[in-house]
Amino acid sequence: MPESLATVVIAELEELLGSQSVLHAPVDRIAYSYDGTFAQHLPDVVVLPQTNEEVASVVRVAARHDVPILPRGMGSGLAGGTLPIRGGIVLSLTRMKRILEIDEENMTATAEAGIVTADLQAEVEKRGLFYPPDPSSIKQSTIGGNVACNAGGPRCLKYGVTGDYVMGMTVILADGRLLKTGGKAIKNVTGLNINQLFVGSEGTLGIITEVILRLISKPPHVRTALVQFPALETAGEAVHAVLKQGLVPATMELLDETAIECIEEAMHLGLPLDVEAILLIETDGPHEDVVIREIDAIAAICLETGASRVDVARSEEERADLWRARRSVSPALARRAPNKLGEDITVPRSAIPEAIRRIKAISARYGLPVVVFGHAGDGNLHPNVLFDRRDPEQLAKVEPMVGDIFQMALDLGGTLSGEHGIGTFKLPYVHAALGSVSVDIQRRIKQALDPQNILNPGKVLPEG
Amino acid sequence: MTIELGFMCAGDTNDRLETDGARSREGTCVSEGHLAAEDARQCVRCGLCLATCPSYRESLVETDSPRARVALVQALEEGRIDAPLDGFANAFYRCLLCGACTFTCPSGVAVDRVLELTRGDLADEGLLPPALSDLDDRISRYRNISAEPNEGRLIWADNLPSPPTGLGKKQAEVAYFVGCVGSFFPRSYKVPQSFVQIIDRAGVDYALLGGAEWCCGYPMFINGELESARDLMGHNVEAVRALGASKVVTTCPSCFYFWKQSYPAALGTGDLGIEVQHATEFLADLLEAGAVPLREVRKDVTYHDPCDLGRKGGVTEAPRRIIAQIPGVRLLEMAENRESSYCCGGGGNLETYAPELVKAVSRSRIQQVVDTGAGTVVSACQQCERTLASAARAERVRVRVQDITELVLEAMGRRGRCLSRWRLS
Ligand SMILES: Cc1cc2nc3c(=O)[nH]c(=O)nc-3n(C[C@H](O)[C@H](O)[C@H](O)COP(=O)(O)OP(=O)(O)OC[C@H]3O[C@@H](n4cnc5c(N)ncnc54)[C@H](O)[C@@H]3O)c2cc1C
Ligand code: SF4
Ligand code: SF4
Repeated sequence: MPESLATVVIAELEELLGSQSVLHAPVDRIAYSYDGTFAQHLPDVVVLPQTNEEVASVVRVAARHDVPILPRGMGSGLAGGTLPIRGGIVLSLTRMKRILEIDEENMTATAEAGIVTADLQAEVEKRGLFYPPDPSSIKQSTIGGNVACNAGGPRCLKYGVTGDYVMGMTVILADGRLLKTGGKAIKNVTGLNINQLFVGSEGTLGIITEVILRLISKPPHVRTALVQFPALETAGEAVHAVLKQGLVPATMELLDETAIECIEEAMHLGLPLDVEAILLIETDGPHEDVVIREIDAIAAICLETGASRVDVARSEEERADLWRARRSVSPALARRAPNKLGEDITVPRSAIPEAIRRIKAISARYGLPVVVFGHAGDGNLHPNVLFDRRDPEQLAKVEPMVGDIFQMALDLGGTLSGEHGIGTFKLPYVHAALGSVSVDIQRRIKQALDPQNILNPGKVLPEG
Repeated sequence: MTIELGFMCAGDTNDRLETDGARSREGTCVSEGHLAAEDARQCVRCGLCLATCPSYRESLVETDSPRARVALVQALEEGRIDAPLDGFANAFYRCLLCGACTFTCPSGVAVDRVLELTRGDLADEGLLPPALSDLDDRISRYRNISAEPNEGRLIWADNLPSPPTGLGKKQAEVAYFVGCVGSFFPRSYKVPQSFVQIIDRAGVDYALLGGAEWCCGYPMFINGELESARDLMGHNVEAVRALGASKVVTTCPSCFYFWKQSYPAALGTGDLGIEVQHATEFLADLLEAGAVPLREVRKDVTYHDPCDLGRKGGVTEAPRRIIAQIPGVRLLEMAENRESSYCCGGGGNLETYAPELVKAVSRSRIQQVVDTGAGTVVSACQQCERTLASAARAERVRVRVQDITELVLEAMGRRGRCLSRWRLS
C-alpha cells in the first residue's frame, strides 16, 4: 500500500476498533509477516477484532479502499496461505475465541473461529464428548484455520477430516455482509452445499467467524502400538495389508529413520534407532475387548508383512509420549538441517510403497535428504526436503525436487495437498492437478464472491 | 516449471521496513555478540511455543510470542529493522523469562538465550526502559532492590519467639542466603521467619549474612547488565567463603537459579566449591530423616512450581516430597505442573514494566488453582506468593496462598509470624 493510503486506512481502522486493536509498528508488522514456513511478507496493518460487526467493518474499509485483507488464525499454516504477499490488512481472529454453546443433546459445539483447537477439544471432552480432528498443530492452530485448510490429522483415517465435522458457520463476505450457512440439522439439502464451499477456501472466499461442529461420544478404550520395520517399503505394504483385511484403526502414522532419529534427539524416548520405519497404530472404540482384539490382529498382520517388533503402550503416559513425539516430528527436523520444505502429497493407498520408493529415488538423484512421515493410512505423506538455504547449490535443487515429487504424486493418481492447502507455495502446480475446466469454474466462484479480489489475493488459484 | 512465490526465503524478499535511519548490520546490537542471531536461525516457525508462552496466551498478539521475538532478532540481523525503534525493546521486556518456550521448542532453539542475550545487547545500546534502569541504579547503590540501607536485611528476625541461632555467627556449615524480597518486603518476612524456625528446630549449623549479603545480581542480569552484576556475585561468594560454609541455601528460587546456573561461569571459576541448594531440597532431606516432628494437618493443597525453581532450576520433586511428609495433607495437581508449570506472572521484572500483563497472567494461574478444588496453594517462592495472593484478592477467590515453609511450620504446630508489619508499613 502506498504510505498515504496506509495512513488513511489505519486512521479509519483505529476509529472503528480503537488503537489497542490496530497494530502497525514495525515490530508488529514483522510479527505478522510469516506463517509456519520460512517465507515472509510484511502487512501494512494488523487488526484484532472481537465481534462479527468489527470484522464486517474492517472488511468494508478494505473494500472501500480496494486493499487486500487476509484472515489469520495462529499462523501455523504450511502453505504460505496467510502471507500478505501484496501487503494490506491482516485480520487476526485470535481474540474471537469464545465457545458459544456446547449442545450435549444434539452433540454440537458452536465456537468463534479464533479458538485454539486443543482448547475446544479439551472443553468438549470434559463433557464426555469428542471432536476427533487432530492436526499435529492442534495446540497452535485455530478452528477457523483448520476449517479454512480442511485440516486433517492422524485420527482422520477412521474419523474423517475437519470438513466432515462442520455443520454450519458464520462468514463475513467480501462486501461486509454476514452469511450463515448450514445449521444443527444433521440432514440438510435445502439449497446448494455452501457450507462445504468455505471448507478449504484458505481465506479467499470469506472470513469465517463462527463454526458449528458436530461432536461424537468419546471412545473410552484405546490401544496404541509402536511397530518397527527394518525396511521402509514393508511399512507401506503393512498399511495396505491391514486395511485390506477390513480393519480400520484410528491412526496409522509412518515415520522414517531420519524422523525417528530427530525425535529421539529431541525427546529421548528410547525409540528404536536401527530400523528404517515405524508405524504408530491406534485402535479405539466402545468395547475394550474388541479394541484389544483389533490391535492384536493388526500386530499379527504387521509381523507377517515384515515388521520386526510390536510394542503396545502400557500406560496413558507412554501413549501420550508417543503422540507428543509424533507431533514434534516436523519441527524436530531442524536438528538435521537449517531449512526444510515439507510437502503434503496424497496418493491412493495402494500406491504408498511405490511413492516411498520414488521419493527415495528423487532424493538420491539430487543428493539432498528427504524425510518421509505422515498419515500412511490415508495415503497422505509429508516428504520433507532438508537443506541449507545459505548454500546456493542446495537451494537451487529444492524447487526442481519438489516439482518432481508433485509430478510423481500426480502420476500415481494422487494430488498436491491432502491437508495443508495450496496457499502460495503450490500455486504453479494447480493447473496440472485440477485441469482447466475446474480452474475456470473455481475462478468464477471466486469472482462471484469477491469481485474486487481483496480477500487473500494471489492464493489458491493462479490468476490469469 | 518455476516456483516464483514458493521461495521467498527470509532475507531474499524485497520486504524491508522503511524506517528513518535504519542502520546497517554493523552497529546494531546483535552484531556484537552474534550468538542470539545464530540461535534464532534454528527456529522453523512452527508456532508450538505460542501454546505455552504466558505473554502470548494473555495478549493473543503474535508480537508477544517467542516466535516473534526470535523473528525480530533475525530481522535485526538481516538489517530489516532497527533496534532503537519504538517497540523493539518493548517486545523483549514484555517477556517473563519463564523459559516455557525453550522447554517446549522441538527444534531445540535456545529461546531463553536469545532473550537474555538480546536484553544484554539492548542494555549495552542504552535501550533499557527507564523503569528497569532505575532498578539497576538502586541495586548498584544500595546492594538491594529496595533502596533500603543494606544493614537492615535482618529486620524480619526481630520478633521471632526466639532469635535465630544463625544470627551473628562467624563460622557455620551452611549459609542461608535470604534474598532481597524476603529481607525487605514485609509481606514476605514470613518466608525467612518460617525457614529459620524449622532449621533451628532441626539443629542445623547455619549463619545469616546480614549486611554482608548483597543482591544476588539476577535482576540486573535479566535487565541485560551482566557486567554490573558480576561485582555483586563476586562479593557474595567471598562472604559465604568467609564463613567457611560448604553449602549455601536460598529460599528464593531466582537466587538459587542464578547461584547455581550462572555464578560459576560468570565468575570464571568452573566450580564454586560451595554446594548450592534450594530450601526445598534442604528441607526435604531433613524431614525425610525425621529431624523435625510433624503433626497431622488436614487440608487439600495444590503446589505452584516457580519457573526459576522447577522448569529452569530442575527442582520439582523436593517440594512434593516435603508435602508428602506431612500427614493429612492431600496434594491436588494443577493442569500445568512441574516443568510445564504456568508462570505466576511475577517473572522477568515485568511487575516493574508491564503490570497489566502480570495481572492477566496471575489471574489465569489462580484460576488453575481454583480448578483443582484445593483451598490452599503452596509455593516455594516469595515472588510467586505475592503475585498469586494479589490475584486471589483481585479475583475475590477463596484461596489461601502459603509458602511451603509456612506449611511445614503449621505441621510443627506453630504459627508463622509477621509482627513487623507495624514497623515498616
Ligand atoms: C508443526 C506443524 C504440524 C502441522 N500438522 C498438521 C496436520 O497434522 N494436519 C494438518 O492439516 N495441518 C497441519 N499443519 C498445518 C496447519 O497447522 C494447519 O493448516 C492449520 O489448519 C492452520 O491453522 P491456523 O489457525 O494456524 O491458520 P493460519 O496459518 O493462520 O491460516 C491458514 C490459512 O487459513 C486462512 N484462515 C485462517 N483463519 C481463517 C478464518 N477464520 N476464516 C477464513 N480463512 C482463515 C488463512 O487466510 C490462511 O490461508 C501443521 C503445521 C505445523 C507448523
Ligand atoms: S517452538 Fe521453537 S521452532 Fe517452533 S516457533 Fe517456537 S522457537 Fe521456533
Ligand atoms: S520466556 Fe516465557 S514469556 Fe518469555 S517468550 Fe518464553 S515463554 Fe514467553
